[in-house]
Amino acid sequence: MSLLEKSGAEIDAIIARYPQKRSAVLPLLYLAQDEYGYLTDAAMREVATILDLPPTDVFEVAGFYSLLYEQPVGRWVLQVCDDVPCAFCGAEELIATIQERLGITVDQTTADGMFTLQRVKCLADCNHAPLLQANLEYHRDLTTPQQVDQLLAALRRRAESGEKLSISGRYAEQ
Amino acid sequence: MPDVTLVINGQTVTVPAGTNIVDAARAAGVAIPVFCYHPRLPPVGMCRMCLVEVWTPRVDPATRQVVIGDDGKPVMALMMGKLQPGCVTPVSDGMEVRTATEKVHVAQKGQLEFLLTSHPLDCPVCDKGGECPLQNLTMQFGPSTSRFDYGDKIHFEKPIPLGDLIYLDRERCILCSRCVRFQDELAGDPVLGFDHRGRAWEIISKSDPPFDSKFSGNTTDICPVGALTSADFRFKARVWEVRPTASICPHCPVGCNLSLDMRHDKLMRVMPRENDYVNEIWICDKGRFGMRFIESADRLRHPLIRKGDSLVPAPWDEAIALVAEKLSQIREHAGAASLGGLAGPELPNEDLYLFQKLVRQTLGSPNLDCSTGASGAPEVVDLAATLGVGRGTNLAKSGAGTAVLIMGADPEEEAPLYVLRLRGIVARGGDLTVINPYPTKLERSAARSIRPHAGFEAFAALALVKAVLDQGLIATEFVTARVQGLDELTARLREQSVESLCETAGVSEASVRAAAQAFATAEHAIIIYGRAALAAGEDVLRALTDLALLTGKAGRPGSGVIALLPGGNARGALDMGVHPGAGSRRGMGAREMWAAARDGRLRGMIIAGMDPARDNPAIAAALDALEFVVVQDIFLTETAQRADVVLPTASIAGREGTFTNAERRVQRFRQARIPEYNTPAGWEVMQRIARALPPGRSESVTDARPVAGRRAQRASGATATATMDAPPATWDYAVASDVADEIAATVRGYAGTTYASLGLTRAPEWGRQPDEAVYYDGTSYQNAEGIGIQIAATADDPKTVFALRARVPAPFTRHATRPYLLLAVTRAYDGGEWGRESKLRSRMVPPHVILSVADAAAHSVAPGAIVRLESDAGRIELPVQIEVTLPQGLVLIPDVCGTPLSTIQTGPQTWVAISRVA
Repeated sequence: MSLLEKSGAEIDAIIARYPQKRSAVLPLLYLAQDEYGYLTDAAMREVATILDLPPTDVFEVAGFYSLLYEQPVGRWVLQVCDDVPCAFCGAEELIATIQERLGITVDQTTADGMFTLQRVKCLADCNHAPLLQANLEYHRDLTTPQQVDQLLAALRRRAESGEKLSISGRYAEQ
Repeated sequence: MPDVTLVINGQTVTVPAGTNIVDAARAAGVAIPVFCYHPRLPPVGMCRMCLVEVWTPRVDPATRQVVIGDDGKPVMALMMGKLQPGCVTPVSDGMEVRTATEKVHVAQKGQLEFLLTSHPLDCPVCDKGGECPLQNLTMQFGPSTSRFDYGDKIHFEKPIPLGDLIYLDRERCILCSRCVRFQDELAGDPVLGFDHRGRAWEIISKSDPPFDSKFSGNTTDICPVGALTSADFRFKARVWEVRPTASICPHCPVGCNLSLDMRHDKLMRVMPRENDYVNEIWICDKGRFGMRFIESADRLRHPLIRKGDSLVPAPWDEAIALVAEKLSQIREHAGAASLGGLAGPELPNEDLYLFQKLVRQTLGSPNLDCSTGASGAPEVVDLAATLGVGRGTNLAKSGAGTAVLIMGADPEEEAPLYVLRLRGIVARGGDLTVINPYPTKLERSAARSIRPHAGFEAFAALALVKAVLDQGLIATEFVTARVQGLDELTARLREQSVESLCETAGVSEASVRAAAQAFATAEHAIIIYGRAALAAGEDVLRALTDLALLTGKAGRPGSGVIALLPGGNARGALDMGVHPGAGSRRGMGAREMWAAARDGRLRGMIIAGMDPARDNPAIAAALDALEFVVVQDIFLTETAQRADVVLPTASIAGREGTFTNAERRVQRFRQARIPEYNTPAGWEVMQRIARALPPGRSESVTDARPVAGRRAQRASGATATATMDAPPATWDYAVASDVADEIAATVRGYAGTTYASLGLTRAPEWGRQPDEAVYYDGTSYQNAEGIGIQIAATADDPKTVFALRARVPAPFTRHATRPYLLLAVTRAYDGGEWGRESKLRSRMVPPHVILSVADAAAHSVAPGAIVRLESDAGRIELPVQIEVTLPQGLVLIPDVCGTPLSTIQTGPQTWVAISRVA
């Protein structure tokens, strides 16, 4: 089923928000990656067709932003800030803990498809360093391995409970 | 715009306001190094190579007055306190620019060191080596060593295909975006972009097929490094080994200036040559990648003579003697009128001129044509010779104040480079209207697109004329002085209204009125028409003529009509008199000749550079019915296979000659190599035949002149009379220029187009600094061999008077049982002989039919399904392609090799029925 068939009304509503159709490219890419799990080649071409854009333009946008995934990702995308303030407050330790607990390295996805770990720059919340975002939800002051264990368990529980997740962070609250 | 005076390196310069510092410095002879800046693209300031010191008079913030120092001069301040990029900084009065200070040198060194951090330095194996701005600027401005660790260079897979014509080497790319901007802004094919960011930034193309643009080769020219290279030239030669030879593209009526870059006698690559009047510094991919045919192993090498069922090689003397004998025999038995001649519109003027001289004067037959005479081939109506464009037109300078009307043409396929020219006019503020029965890419650049129902184009064209009359848009002065029949025209159109004409044509009245308004009120206006307009018939051309006349858009530079006729030298063919109406006695055209061949009135034919039998069984049968056929060509075409004698000739690389382009510019091409297989030029073959003919009854001298003017007169109603000296009856041409001299002396309008004069036409100042081209413009060549001479149109003579001839088209009725209108459309990549050995073969499409979404649904056919098309003439079956924007009821068949169009076409527009086969 195509994006347009499945979410036609939502797409119309998104496009209606902008004076030009092309402005809707980011929200539609978020929608597409939630729909397909990541931005497949076909998904990006679909968005281009919907918005009358040259396909190349859509690939450019997808390639530029770190929140648009052109490779398969898990149900939770964990993005840990490793910029300077976070690094001072233990970002590398946080990343090491997550790697150790999940048995993956950065840019990998757990075998069960639950978690993907990524490094990102500045999440604009330095006073709560170190921190990460999981599908754009902020989890702050993660200084101990116990906090990490609790967080991973909670995230796993939520996914298994059938809660609707969005790797694009469309349901994230700040 | 007012001028601005500034000082650059101590030199006072005055340039128009809005000029950027790099261009201002160029005007002063100061070279500021650049990578991303290109004078034909808007600046972006991405590469930082053009950093310079910019000093401006200090302004007191309180008084807003320039601060004057103790010496009585303004106190100068460094702009922003740091170096400024010259390409994005406009000049201002009193500015002082310093480009050679220590600070600037440090910046230039640093910038080059930075650009080279990940550059692979593989110049010894790089195609760009030797003409590479990065190489040159590094030598001139760069550091000799790098502080970066060689081992830290970022490596990418080398090279990756960006499409099937262009390769990308990401290690060499400096991310200047010249290629991306060229595609977006000039070509209008936004198929290139940037993926990722930072060190991972790279060029991508995601169109289908990748890098889907007819102008892709130009990106390899303007690439300032070796990142983009062409599949056609990769590793073929070092650029300093090649010998550039000035040539002209034979593929379409634009007449782009080319350079054939030869090593010894081998073609290494084709490059553009700068000519602002024709192609600026660009060429299309057909010109660049479609010249390999000259070295095809399939080229004809020897004359062939029919012996029974086969053609066998024969010496030249024997073949020529046989041709002369047979032609004169037929002339003796059946009369000269039983001979006919067809010459292709890709041949140079010299060949065409002697061809018509041979047929019309020496053999004495008026039967001459440059069209194939296929059932679907439209009648050629030629307004470009009469109405212009006016002499002195330079589309590269047209912009604000110019309105362009495209009527029934797809420039992207029929004359690709016009897309760049027209988009340039729009970018400079011009107005563009596209009127075409089917969608074309150029519409995206137009202010308005008007889509008449196919078959009703004439009503749309007449609506424009009526709107001009209605809205009082007549150019009174021009009409009073040079136009006759206004009252009669007004009377003829009295019963018509713009509204009813638009309704009949199926177009919006508001758009038509807006187009008429834009056209009439613009200072300059140009009409371009092509295949679809010719297919729609004479009424369209009559209306277009009157539109140009009523609004006074003829007979002056920047205004007039351009005809996109098939073939690279159709203009020359018509001017040289290869046309049944060109003599004093009207002869048979191609179509009449085929009929005459079938019933025995025509006995012998001479065919040069044309393949009318291709995909056309009816013409093939007519050829077979002839007593004697001689074909002159460079390949053994289907027509040649049916000949009694085949005479091989040199390609344009192996001889010299001239072409006349759509804007009537006569341009000379030079000989790039010794003739392939020692073949003679076409004009030499004509001379050999003429000399071998026994003297016979020939037409009187007055009968023999190619009266271009008289034909033109009939087409437009001009009352001008042609004056021309009679050509001599002798055949003593030693070199091509002897033929050109006779053309200059006898063909109307061609006075002064001798090779000597053509060679003397120097390019005016186009802003390029000699020998610094590689720094700025990429690797196109400067034009040192002459930019050509634009000959006058009839209207350029202020004494010529024209008659208004628009008329109400006959009511157009749909066919009772065949509801679809079929149009054959031109494809640039049509699979013809020119495409042999070309990298473009992968872009050539097999025969197919294009249906609208609704019509495909009505017959429940999906792409690839086979449909049967049936007309009064016959039936064919073709696979289907579906075009989303095609109007319902219209069926397009691309005119590509292998399409049996002649089987189904009853005329240029054919009513067909469709049924599904599989």
